[in-house]
Amino acid sequence: MNSPSMSGSQPNRLADVGLIDRSQPLTFRFDGRRYAGYAGDTLASALLASGVKLIGRSFKYHRPRGVVCAGADEPNALVELRAGSRLEPNTRATLAELFDGLEACSQHRWPSLSFDLGALNSMLAPLLVAGFYYKTFMWPASMWERFYEPMIRRAAGLGHASTEADPDLYEKEHAFCDLLVIGGGPAGLSAALAAGRSGARVILCDDDFMPGGRLNGDRREIDGMSGSAWARAVETELAALPEVRVLRRTSVFGVYDDCTFGALERVADHMRVPAPHQPRQRLWKIVARRMVLAAGATERPIVFGGNDRPGVMMSSAVRTYLNRFGVAAGSRIVLFTATDDAWTTAIDLLDRNVAVEAIIDARSNAPASLVEAAKHRGVQVLLGTQVVATHGARSLRHVTVRSGEGRLIRLRADVLAVSGGWNPNIGLSSHLGARPLWSERLCAFVAGAGMHRFTVVGAANGSFRLSDALQEGAAAGAEAAESTGHRAAAMTIPKVAGESSGVTAFWHVAESKGKAFVDFQNDVTYDDIAIAVREGFSSVELLKRYTTLGMGTDQGRTSNVNGLAILARLTGREISETGTTTARPPLAPVSIGAFAGHHRGKMFKPTRRTASHVWAQECGATFVEASQWLRARWFATDTEQSWFETVAREVTTVRSSVGVCDVSTLGKIDVQGPDAGVFLDKVYVNTFSTLPVGKTRYGLMLREDGFVLDDGTSARLAADHYVMSTTTANAGRVMQHLEYARQVLWPDLDVQIVSVTEQWAQYAVAGPNSRRLLQRLLGNVIALADVAFPYLACAQFCWRDMIVRLFRVSFSGELAYELAVPARYGDAVIRAIMTAGADLGIVPYGTEAIGVMRIEKGHVAGNEINGMTTAADLGLGRMMSNKKDFIGRVLAAREGLAHPRRATLVGVKAIDKEARFFSGAHFLARGADVSLANDQGYLTSVAFSPMLGVWIGLGLLQGGSQRWGERIRAYDPIHGSDVEVEVVSPAFFDPEGERLRG
Amino acid sequence: MADHSVTLMPRAPFADLPDWPPMPVAGCGVVVEDRDGLGIATVQARKDRVSDLARRLRERFSIELPVGAVRTTSGNVALAGIGPGAWLATCESGANGFAHGLKEGLAGLASVSDQSGGYAVLRLSGPNVRDTLYKLVPVDLHPRIFPVGGVAVTVAAHMGVTLWRLRDDANDLPVFEMAVYRSFAADFWQTLRTSASAFGVAAVCRIVTGRAEHDSRLDTLTGKDDPVSPCSLSLQESS
Repeated sequence: MNSPSMSGSQPNRLADVGLIDRSQPLTFRFDGRRYAGYAGDTLASALLASGVKLIGRSFKYHRPRGVVCAGADEPNALVELRAGSRLEPNTRATLAELFDGLEACSQHRWPSLSFDLGALNSMLAPLLVAGFYYKTFMWPASMWERFYEPMIRRAAGLGHASTEADPDLYEKEHAFCDLLVIGGGPAGLSAALAAGRSGARVILCDDDFMPGGRLNGDRREIDGMSGSAWARAVETELAALPEVRVLRRTSVFGVYDDCTFGALERVADHMRVPAPHQPRQRLWKIVARRMVLAAGATERPIVFGGNDRPGVMMSSAVRTYLNRFGVAAGSRIVLFTATDDAWTTAIDLLDRNVAVEAIIDARSNAPASLVEAAKHRGVQVLLGTQVVATHGARSLRHVTVRSGEGRLIRLRADVLAVSGGWNPNIGLSSHLGARPLWSERLCAFVAGAGMHRFTVVGAANGSFRLSDALQEGAAAGAEAAESTGHRAAAMTIPKVAGESSGVTAFWHVAESKGKAFVDFQNDVTYDDIAIAVREGFSSVELLKRYTTLGMGTDQGRTSNVNGLAILARLTGREISETGTTTARPPLAPVSIGAFAGHHRGKMFKPTRRTASHVWAQECGATFVEASQWLRARWFATDTEQSWFETVAREVTTVRSSVGVCDVSTLGKIDVQGPDAGVFLDKVYVNTFSTLPVGKTRYGLMLREDGFVLDDGTSARLAADHYVMSTTTANAGRVMQHLEYARQVLWPDLDVQIVSVTEQWAQYAVAGPNSRRLLQRLLGNVIALADVAFPYLACAQFCWRDMIVRLFRVSFSGELAYELAVPARYGDAVIRAIMTAGADLGIVPYGTEAIGVMRIEKGHVAGNEINGMTTAADLGLGRMMSNKKDFIGRVLAAREGLAHPRRATLVGVKAIDKEARFFSGAHFLARGADVSLANDQGYLTSVAFSPMLGVWIGLGLLQGGSQRWGERIRAYDPIHGSDVEVEVVSPAFFDPEGERLRG
Repeated sequence: MADHSVTLMPRAPFADLPDWPPMPVAGCGVVVEDRDGLGIATVQARKDRVSDLARRLRERFSIELPVGAVRTTSGNVALAGIGPGAWLATCESGANGFAHGLKEGLAGLASVSDQSGGYAVLRLSGPNVRDTLYKLVPVDLHPRIFPVGGVAVTVAAHMGVTLWRLRDDANDLPVFEMAVYRSFAADFWQTLRTSASAFGVAAVCRIVTGRAEHDSRLDTLTGKDDPVSPCSLSLQESS
């Protein structure tokens, strides 16, 4: 005979009972106090073993709360685990696997758990009823931000987030299988075994660290062995099957299209610190051909007065703590039930010599065999009786019951084990839209029909008997194997003893005294539902939002059905008529870290580096992010005081001698095929089919809606081969645009396109000495004299074992070339260019210098091609061909887009040489009031021109091109400036373009 | 002309990473090998010329044009199906001369673009190579589903990758190659290394130099009399 061993530290731990490993004692701390437990414990079971009943305070009223459940359904016992950077709030103590040195804290209390000032909220209870957010704190409105909201935020909420960076690793993994089994109880194990034996690829996910489900918490026999031993044996067989994978500590949290599932594996949550290279958690994306849902069922509470007092627990949880963890949850236990199942708990307790004070069954007709057995063991049995109130300061001391005749009886109890029936865990079944169905027979919702490739088995299917679970699981597993092309041999269903699983719908004790809680986590009571109904919020969706029923981190696992039943009763409907809210992913909370995986900090999005990156670093480049690329922004020397000085030097050196700039990040697309020219005619506003081989042309493309998409040059390398350049930012978008045009709009054209952006390291060599430098570098493989290789020439030729490309194009306005070499040689060639230009005083220049020079030249860039400008707005209207059709032609002619008052591109120059203005400044007439009505446009790009010695800018001004010479204001309230400027031609520098023809 | 003397050496995409190559460790789960120096080209069939292209490749280069996402090999050349009418051709040596030769050989039947510098290619082997790849790509790599010669154009950690399976190694363990755009090399390696770290990562020794032999004979820059090397076709034409 066992008796509660009164071993000092764990008074409630029974000797020789349970599946814990007594050879591995562990110590841990809760709220700073030291406790002991064993490997195989959860934090909850170890605390109960140590006699700790009070674990937290409730959300709204700060009422004392204890452990209610023994698994994932726990609404109350939420704690903060660990400390510092690994602090983790809202952890269910019932899932937290005990490890040596674990530190946990109760949350949502101040200053301490046993003395909590927030409990004063209980006195404010009349103010905190359903919808209090919308009612109580409405007036005066000025109080909301200053007082009400901060107060509510402090009082409510659960736990704290760490303010330090998470030091652990999170990762993602993909898996594919014929069958995904969700749940490792008897039905799930059966399904996995039946399918796995056939050779099918099976993944079984179980929340628990010890698969077996109820078999670990119940005393059952399967094939002559204990249920838990049978589960271990199946697990061992599954582990030996090469195509089967069992993922323990893994919760499937979402079902997505096409049989794709999201699951979270808590890889190292049960360790103080993850092992080296071990992730803390792993996010699985599982693609399955079939799915078997064997997620079991959740026992539901009964709504009665004081049902939240620490010591009031689920009957099945009391049984699990007893059988699995060897813990007597109390020393004097009363059961309150409407099911046969609770009677099993009573018998199990009696068999372990735990005192059972009474069994209160709300039914007047409990099975005679159960009644006899209990009475035979000397237990007081009260049928047709209900618990109306509980008593005790911080944990349960007494319960008051009311017999069918209305007689009130007070019973001593430190634990009240409650069983209101079982709700199948079907949350995942509705993720794809199937609505749960109400079953009168089971008094529960079951999965709705219409789930493709889905089977629900065992308790999740409302088949609460073990024999049914085993049989359904095996059948579903075999069926899944067969339907995925495997031959499943018939499986012998293990023999189990019969059981009694009767239940009568019973939700609420009408004669309750004190608050009767429906949702423990969100502090929603019976009265809150009644108020909501009275105020007209009587649909389930409105009820949920008005009262917050089921909106906690537990998603109402223990509360939703009770809430619906009460709503149905109060509105005179059947539960099948009220319906239920829809469960959506995630089924259980998933940490953001798991979704982020490796993509943190600089790895949030991958960074692209050019072939010259290392060289640029060596040259002291400062980099800037240009879409995903890192580009050199400028190359400062040691003596330079500011980037301003650096950029001016880069610009003046380019304009006086020569500079080099990496332009590899610009998109490059090989357009090939006999129809390549025709194709380009359709995507550009101007004509390319007539471009001679060996020539380059500037092109502009529009979106279908008539606005400018992108600009760049295209060069004709051969009759059937063009290479297009795009801006850095739009490279991907243009490629998509071309693919759409090629595949969808004109599939008949013989044209092939491929991105070659990465193939070519491309360097712009610009300045009056650029030809001299390049001729020196390239030697006699190509003649660069103006006659041989004039402005806009292009060539592809062999240089030093490489095919290279050379273009005579210029963004700076200088004599300039772009040399493209295979990216493997990009590093060598930039160094070779620098060497070849050393005696010419060559400088590397960055994106800022590019920006200054292009503004000096009036070339548009991303600031002007901003998705809101037309070709005409940018002064490029005349490029639009009248002789052909092209994408965007029709809609570009819309009245609004062709309106004469549209803002068009202009240059502006400060009148006062010292005056500075900024892009974003708005144009106003001189003397005009500052108002939107007087707004005439805005500055898009601004630079200090080293060549002109004044601030210049490009902007979009109403009627712009007719207004050269006019004086207006650049008004900028952000920088607090209001500068008089002159409207001029955008081409500030070398307007005739003599320099680039060199 | 000035008498500058500069040697043009190719730079492997992974050459500049601070932690590259990973130190050899005994019993490591994943072995990586930089495949720098491969000749790589995209081949896109001209309209309605797929069968002519297949015939030309068979007749002149003894290689079958793959149908679907599979990879064929012949001698030192391979073709991987990467999309409708599109293939990635690789050649064990030849670097960027390969594409030029292929373009001439397939003139009129296919559009060919050099990608020898565009991709960073890694060969991945070792007992945990699949475990590692499952952390990177959403592709079913089960031997029945993704056999030798299988190809996938997919994504790894927000980076586009092309993945193919080679013949198993001497220990019957799978071997894969992954091509990623060169600019992603640093971040790709970072992600790969993190994903494989639990298994142990090592590099095969010969990549420690980071350079393939044929590239080491580049000329010095004299500016005057550059010898212009012919761009030879590295495909072995069948006789």
